Amino acid sequence: MELGQLLLNALVLGASYALVALGFVLVLNATAAVNFAHGELVMAGGMLAVALATVLPLGDVVPGLLVLPLVLVVMAGAGLLFSLVAYFPLRRGPPVSVFISTIAVGIMLQHAVKAAMGPAERAAPPLLAGPQLDLAGLIVSRQALATLAVAALLIGGTALLLRRTQFGRRLRASAQDPEMARAVGVPVRAMIASSFALGTALAGAAGLLFANSYFVSPESGGNLMIKAYIAVVIGGWGSVPGALAGALLIALFEVGVAAWLSSPVAEAALYGALLLTLVLRPQGLFGEPVGRRV
Amino acid sequence: MASAASKLRTRQLSLFSLFSCARSAVAASAVAVLWSSGAWAERVRLPILAPTSGILALEGASQRDGALLALQHAPKGVRVERLVLDTGSSPQRAVQAFEKAVRGALPVAISAPIFGPEMLAIMPLAKERKVPLVTISGTAKLTELGNPYVFRFFPGDAVVKTAQARYTVEELKRKKIALVYQTTAYGQSGRTHLRANFKKLGATVVMEEGLSPRVKDMTPVLVKLKRSGADVLVLQLHSGPTALIVKQAAGLRLGLPIVAGSAMHQPSTAALLQPSSLKGVCAESGSSPVSGGSDAMRAFATAFQKRFGRAPDAFAAAQYDGVTMVLKAVAGGARTAADVRKALASGRHDGLAMSYKSDGKGNMAHDAVIVCYDGKTRVPAIVKRYRNVDGAL
Repeated sequence: MELGQLLLNALVLGASYALVALGFVLVLNATAAVNFAHGELVMAGGMLAVALATVLPLGDVVPGLLVLPLVLVVMAGAGLLFSLVAYFPLRRGPPVSVFISTIAVGIMLQHAVKAAMGPAERAAPPLLAGPQLDLAGLIVSRQALATLAVAALLIGGTALLLRRTQFGRRLRASAQDPEMARAVGVPVRAMIASSFALGTALAGAAGLLFANSYFVSPESGGNLMIKAYIAVVIGGWGSVPGALAGALLIALFEVGVAAWLSSPVAEAALYGALLLTLVLRPQGLFGEPVGRRV
Repeated sequence: MASAASKLRTRQLSLFSLFSCARSAVAASAVAVLWSSGAWAERVRLPILAPTSGILALEGASQRDGALLALQHAPKGVRVERLVLDTGSSPQRAVQAFEKAVRGALPVAISAPIFGPEMLAIMPLAKERKVPLVTISGTAKLTELGNPYVFRFFPGDAVVKTAQARYTVEELKRKKIALVYQTTAYGQSGRTHLRANFKKLGATVVMEEGLSPRVKDMTPVLVKLKRSGADVLVLQLHSGPTALIVKQAAGLRLGLPIVAGSAMHQPSTAALLQPSSLKGVCAESGSSPVSGGSDAMRAFATAFQKRFGRAPDAFAAAQYDGVTMVLKAVAGGARTAADVRKALASGRHDGLAMSYKSDGKGNMAHDAVIVCYDGKTRVPAIVKRYRNVDGAL
């Protein structure tokens, strides 16, 4: 029973990490540049959910499921704005310019949120409120079930969007070979902006999930960014399934290895696994061999 | 006509001279009265250094705001030059802030950071510049280094950890301890004191785990705790991790009492949790302003809420008390950093949270309280006071 409870909790944590990693890898593929502000965008999504829950005229307890669509829309807009400020003006410059600009915007975002909402940790409303369920000896909160469902829906929806729609095919074409895509009439600039919008919307959704289950503070972004980076390196640089697998692996380390040994050992083991991956399989679990890595 | 005008001018000049003399005499008298009463209106420097960003931003904001409110409530006639610097939860930035704070005229004292590593970094500089540091950092080591310029207004681990352990063993009658602590300096210091106290009280630590502040899921710790047969969970964690483990313990129906560190008493920590999750949770602290206790404390809580838009915690109250003691020393005639150091080292101050007096090492606070939540509200009640605790290891 203990094992089942641990696996369930690892799955819930992994689902939240997966949304973070998915948003990160979409922008990475579209721009070939690391968005170092991604963690802060996740944090901003969580804080936005906290703020919306207090201002929406829906009574004392606003279910997170009602806040989620608003978070997705607002964060998509924030993603577009982010691309206009931190990416497009510098994209023809040296790659390091984009890294620096995303770091700078991330820090500005962190300070802006701190100025607006204070330094304290905050809790967003649960997606679904209500008593916990007892499923064959496992204690399962409605929030955990809703987290799994929302993550599955958003990840599945993104996969469908990328694979089964003309828009998705254009996005992928722009990511894989922008020059060729432009030559055949794909509006590459719009596709890149859309990737920022989609990736940031997913970051916002992840923020909402995190902000209820694990709380959120203006300082939360850095740690989430590292998790996204590790997931992508282990899973395969630029690979969407790899990022999801990497995210689940991180959660398994944080819950499973921590239960077996201890949390500090689990953290060390995770970084050990990261180093081993870089040495033994630099392309990651799902990635194809690449010649250059950021 | 000219003669009349000249007479008028002479008369006007005489009157002006008389008025000037009278004004000078009044001013001189006022200065003499003010000087003799100690309420000298010259500005003194009392910079506020606090980590308002980084890992200790929450506690740092409380520390800063407690000091700011004390400046606002300064004794009549005492004027303070306001300088607030963010130390960023980083020893390097704390040193930079200290250097900026002592540039120019030497401050009479510095409202120093709550973060122990920052304090350790600036303490040698304070000794060199001979400027007193008024701090609320709980790190035990600060007052064990023989630095005569450190004055701690929050009970250190020697006091609060003794209270936490005694309440667990003597009041709750629990002797099989599960101890979960943060792997930071704060957590390690508390762990050392808790272990020593439990040993002294005849209790056994049957399970312990160090956690990084980055840990999100507490299930592994709670699963180990259940396996260990512990009958109480004792915490020494920062605010967020405290709330996380309390929430997840309630979610997994742990069913054991929790005796937490001072982070739990903070209103911002309780705000993260449903009141029902808090049933059976207690915490140590220096005080609990939201729990009331005296008219002065209630007035402080109201003034703090009005100015900063949030409820104060024990850190804010303690820094308020520390800065107020400095300002009273200035009002009482202390003109220099040396005067203020002498007043802090030898004086006594009846503050909001307790009565403060140095033990010769700079420990000014010797009392602790235990607060408990009833599971219905987020406002805890003070259930036990420990006075003049000597928990030196």
